[in-house]
Amino acid sequence: MSQAGAHASGPVLRCDAVERHFGGLVALSGVDMQIERGEIFGLVGPNGSGKTTLTNAITGFYPPQSGRILLHGRDITGLAPHKVARLGVARTFQNLALFNGMTVLDNILLGRHVHMRPSVVRTALYWFMSRQDEIANRAVVEEVIDFMQLESVRDELVDAIPIGLKKRVELARALVAEPEFLILDEPMAGMNQEEKEYMARFILDARDERGVTVLLIEHHMDIITGICDRMLVLSYGEVIGTGIPRDVIADPGVIKAYLGGAHTAA
Amino acid sequence: MLFRQAGIFHTDYAADRAMFPIPLDRWMVGVLLALGLAAPWVFSSLALTSYVMPWLIWAAAALGLNLILGWAGQFHFGYAAIMGIGAYTAVHGVRAGIPWEIAVVLGGLMATVVGIVFAFAALRVKGLYLALSTLALQFVMDWVISHVPAISGGVSATLQAPTLRLLGQQVTSEAGLYYVALGWCLFVTVFMLNLRRTALGRALVAVREKDFAAAVIGVQSFYYKLVAFATSSFIGGVSGAILVFTFYHAVTPEQFSVNVSIELLAMVIVGGLASIIGSYFGAAFILLLPGQINQLVAWTAKLMGADIGVETLAHIPQMVYGALIIGVLLVEPMGLGKLYANVRNYLLVWPFGYARK
Repeated sequence: MSQAGAHASGPVLRCDAVERHFGGLVALSGVDMQIERGEIFGLVGPNGSGKTTLTNAITGFYPPQSGRILLHGRDITGLAPHKVARLGVARTFQNLALFNGMTVLDNILLGRHVHMRPSVVRTALYWFMSRQDEIANRAVVEEVIDFMQLESVRDELVDAIPIGLKKRVELARALVAEPEFLILDEPMAGMNQEEKEYMARFILDARDERGVTVLLIEHHMDIITGICDRMLVLSYGEVIGTGIPRDVIADPGVIKAYLGGAHTAA
Repeated sequence: MLFRQAGIFHTDYAADRAMFPIPLDRWMVGVLLALGLAAPWVFSSLALTSYVMPWLIWAAAALGLNLILGWAGQFHFGYAAIMGIGAYTAVHGVRAGIPWEIAVVLGGLMATVVGIVFAFAALRVKGLYLALSTLALQFVMDWVISHVPAISGGVSATLQAPTLRLLGQQVTSEAGLYYVALGWCLFVTVFMLNLRRTALGRALVAVREKDFAAAVIGVQSFYYKLVAFATSSFIGGVSGAILVFTFYHAVTPEQFSVNVSIELLAMVIVGGLASIIGSYFGAAFILLLPGQINQLVAWTAKLMGADIGVETLAHIPQMVYGALIIGVLLVEPMGLGKLYANVRNYLLVWPFGYARK
């Protein structure tokens, strides 16, 4: 099912001294990060600390001005986003990026894009060239719909469902691409406790059942300490702590920059 | 009730993805198809050649424009020029002795090539800027067609279209020409229906809705915009060629001037973006309604015995027509296709409206 195992050894992702600035604003200055296979890796930091910029640097939206990004040891620095996607990297967005006007099903089917070969001729000769392919991919999508428990909203327009479900649809769209490396940018923003717990379980299941390596950006420290194997803290574009969550959140520098004085891993 | 869904259980994905999963839709399409095939006997000669046939061809062209405007979400103000390129290429092709079918396809291909070359430049900008650069395509092509004697035969010249020969057989009868138009229109319609359920159609909508989100799932926006431009140019080029061979019988630059481009846009927008049946409605609205309003106004004036001057009489229909366009877009900004969809959605559960969540 998953492509995991194709690159059995070495870290999934390595960032070497990644720098990115926008005009005079330094968003990332010399960030080093290494994510091992099968990890759920937490990325935290105050607002504006460069978490999303780092994600955008990895996925090719804002190529870093210096430094290198290696995926399975292969240099992907500056590669266009759609090419990064084809290398088995999937992501979700902080402010949802679903396609309005389409059903939940079609949105998730779009996640299969990298595995399909859309063309005009295949569309014109649907019955001979597309139908089998569409059905085969539909089967994969249905499996993920099952996994994410989205059966009941399958045929709804994606604009019409509540935000908690939208987040789940976006995760489903990322998962059907069968990525090896999944970046989740605040998948639990705006969710209540129950929805958060659901999402945490889906992320754990995605790792355990599908062998996906996960980079998780999150503000909820309970989630980070609860499901992440290792984590990294950014502040003003610099790494101020990395390691096992329990150790990192006990670090005085991290507490000062991010947790705000008292130790409140609630 | 009418579009009954109860009791229809799809047991495989193929049935779920069928073109028309609801029986009443299938019946309606069947009836329309039968009517389309029987049209030469149902309609009078006048109605067939001056209303039904051009309507079908313009509907095909509107579908082509809808592909780029409604599906891929890119403005195109030069669609008439694209049709003109197809028409002139095909006419010259046939005059040079190329078989009709091949010449028409060549017309489509020529339109595609010009469309792609132009899109390479135009697609570097978005939104209104793209609209303006496609308008430039229209003006450039207008000028080239009318000022290059090898193409138009000289300024304000009319180029006769040779007789349509399908597979070597001369087609001159009204019914024959009508069936050629019907065939092309059906082909385009089926293509668009398929587009709604293939990866290509989904990719186009993804580009339209959010191109950064499209990129992150591996959809290369620029490539799919180009594909959309190319495909819609092909449809436009062939539609232009068929229009000339079956309807106009001669080709002049004015047939594909800028106001025709605007009319095509109106067809798509009044009909409904990304709506297939809407393109038919839109083409009918823009193409056929003005004539009907004219007659209606003249008839009403006569009936009421009102003494209205000829000039006023000529202007009233235009005002009514303009008001109707505004009215439709006020009632439903997504056009006539959406109006139809609203009615259909209502009838899906009627008379048990409370069953809807």
